[in-house]
Amino acid sequence: MAHQADEKRMLDDRGYTGTLIRGANPLLLFEKPVRDRIVESMYWKEQCFGLNAATLCDRAVELENIGGIYGAAQKPSKFLCLAFKLLQLTPERDIVLHYLRQEEWKYLRALAAFYIRLCWQPKEIFETLEPFLADYRKLKRRARESFSLTYVDQFVDDLLTKDRVCATSLWKLPARTQLEDLDVLEPRISPLGEELEDVDADRQDGRMEDDSGSDVEVLGDGHGLGNGHDHDNDADVDGD
Amino acid sequence: MPPKRMTANQDRSHRYYPGKVEYAEDALSSDSENSDAEASSAHQPAKPTLPKATSFPKDARLAANLSKIDLDARRAQAAAQEAERLKREADARAKEEEEFVTDDDNDEEDGSGREQESGSEEEEEEQEESTSSEDDVPKRRMPAPKFISKTNRKQCSVPVFSEEELAAQEDARRKERADEMLQLQLEKQAAAKAAGKKDWDDDEEGLADEVDDADDVDPEEERALWKIRELLRIKRDRDAIESAEKEREEIERRRNLSKEERDAEDREYIDTQKEEHEGKGKMGHMQKYFHRGAYTFDADDETKQLLNRDIMGSRFQDDARDKSMLPSALQIRDMTKIGKKGRTRYRDMKSEDTGRWGDLGVRDRRKDGEYKLDERFRSDGDAERAGGTGANAYAVGERRKRVDDSRDGRRDDKRPNLHYVYYDPA
Repeated sequence: MAHQADEKRMLDDRGYTGTLIRGANPLLLFEKPVRDRIVESMYWKEQCFGLNAATLCDRAVELENIGGIYGAAQKPSKFLCLAFKLLQLTPERDIVLHYLRQEEWKYLRALAAFYIRLCWQPKEIFETLEPFLADYRKLKRRARESFSLTYVDQFVDDLLTKDRVCATSLWKLPARTQLEDLDVLEPRISPLGEELEDVDADRQDGRMEDDSGSDVEVLGDGHGLGNGHDHDNDADVDGD
Repeated sequence: MPPKRMTANQDRSHRYYPGKVEYAEDALSSDSENSDAEASSAHQPAKPTLPKATSFPKDARLAANLSKIDLDARRAQAAAQEAERLKREADARAKEEEEFVTDDDNDEEDGSGREQESGSEEEEEEQEESTSSEDDVPKRRMPAPKFISKTNRKQCSVPVFSEEELAAQEDARRKERADEMLQLQLEKQAAAKAAGKKDWDDDEEGLADEVDDADDVDPEEERALWKIRELLRIKRDRDAIESAEKEREEIERRRNLSKEERDAEDREYIDTQKEEHEGKGKMGHMQKYFHRGAYTFDADDETKQLLNRDIMGSRFQDDARDKSMLPSALQIRDMTKIGKKGRTRYRDMKSEDTGRWGDLGVRDRRKDGEYKLDERFRSDGDAERAGGTGANAYAVGERRKRVDDSRDGRRDDKRPNLHYVYYDPA
């Protein structure tokens, strides 16, 4: 049969000889309804056809938001389509790391982080993604009906702790504490290391110094803000 | 023709009716001889002037003139006119062509030119009969067709292409056209892109602008927000560790207590639970039970409060506390069904249940009279009378042991008993 422009055959598992992720076709990491929406979308058909790891960057730098599925017709976001493309390509480790570590394009970084969370082993996931909990750049996130503001570190945190991000059920990650108990990982050292020790010392002593006072106040204010960010406002398929 | 106005008094002044055409009496009488076909144009206000473009002759009286027409004469006339006209044209053309200056010697040309012209004139005559309107087209000065003798014909000034070359030229032209079209399309696409129109992108524009993801707008503030988030994360992790620790301690502690102490603690816990339940409102008779739903597993603080809320203790405005005071038609568990089309007479399960729930203090009267009946017609009795009924009512004795009952003899049940077959050693 002549070569067909649509790529539905990649979803056909019979005779699949490519890289296996978690023992299966990597495209199956996305759920069936999501897969269908992506493959039928105009963006996928026009822009994501025949991409390779290099040309994918061209698309990725045009990204303006992250998100899962939006709208009444459950349209996939471009972020999701490109993530699907990455899964199809399964580029090498170095390439993905390069995507992640480059400083200029934050949406490309978010894309790489998403890919890593889906495909790599737990230890590598924690070790690779945790440094980016210090990146506080803003991201625009597309929910079902609206847009919201989030940050790179917030996004990475969601990837590490939540079950569903961007319309995908993430593969279940063992908790960090478990891995620490197994001596696979070491306890996390936060980038706020020094200031944290100050806060601890003051708490134990029961004193309120000037510096810590401001920190504690900030905590009190931030609690409300933090809750707002922590809410799960992903556009998930089953409306979680 | 009688006067238009049927009044006796002709001089009576006309009343004005809007839309009514007024005309003078003089005009009436003079137009009475006109043909009726021209009535519309003739009926004009005051002093009518006939339109100039009438194709109909003014004084023609059709019926009268028809008989006077002589068709043959007409035809002859028309033919004569035509011939005249043609002659005029031919003369005019001949005159024009004489004035042409041609490339080569005039002498030769004139003579041969005229021959050609006279030959072609005949053709042109026929053409011109049908296309007489070409007279209006201004005559252009075209070069006269030049007669080339056979010897001169071989030096062709106009290049004659072979078939292949012609085809090649056609292709080249087609390609050019295709290139042009392609160019146009590309330009259009580029323009569209520049204008920012993408078809997979139609719904993003308006809403997206409300959220600004530009960085470095206010670095201090951003850094401060990040600090807050980071601290919250750390706090969350620490809390998780602490709660795990506490659980472990609790488990350890309980293990170290003795059994009685554990029971004491359990009883205390159950008591506190009971108090909590009692504190909440109870379900009244026939009160509708509002289940909180199965999907409440998300354990936020808010949701926990919701989970522990007092559902059955709350009453809404029209809730009747004591439904026995209501008429029986309204004594339903789910009051929302009243007045709706699909309502059945179902009240509640207990009242619809046809089973018996214990408390059979009164036995069945039927069994007391059974001793009069024949044995066959009595009821089977409780648990079928241990052992058996009917033919099985009598105990059966032990079976006698038979020789061939042993296991060895019964081993080959399916094969014939060879003991009785005569064996011939030969």
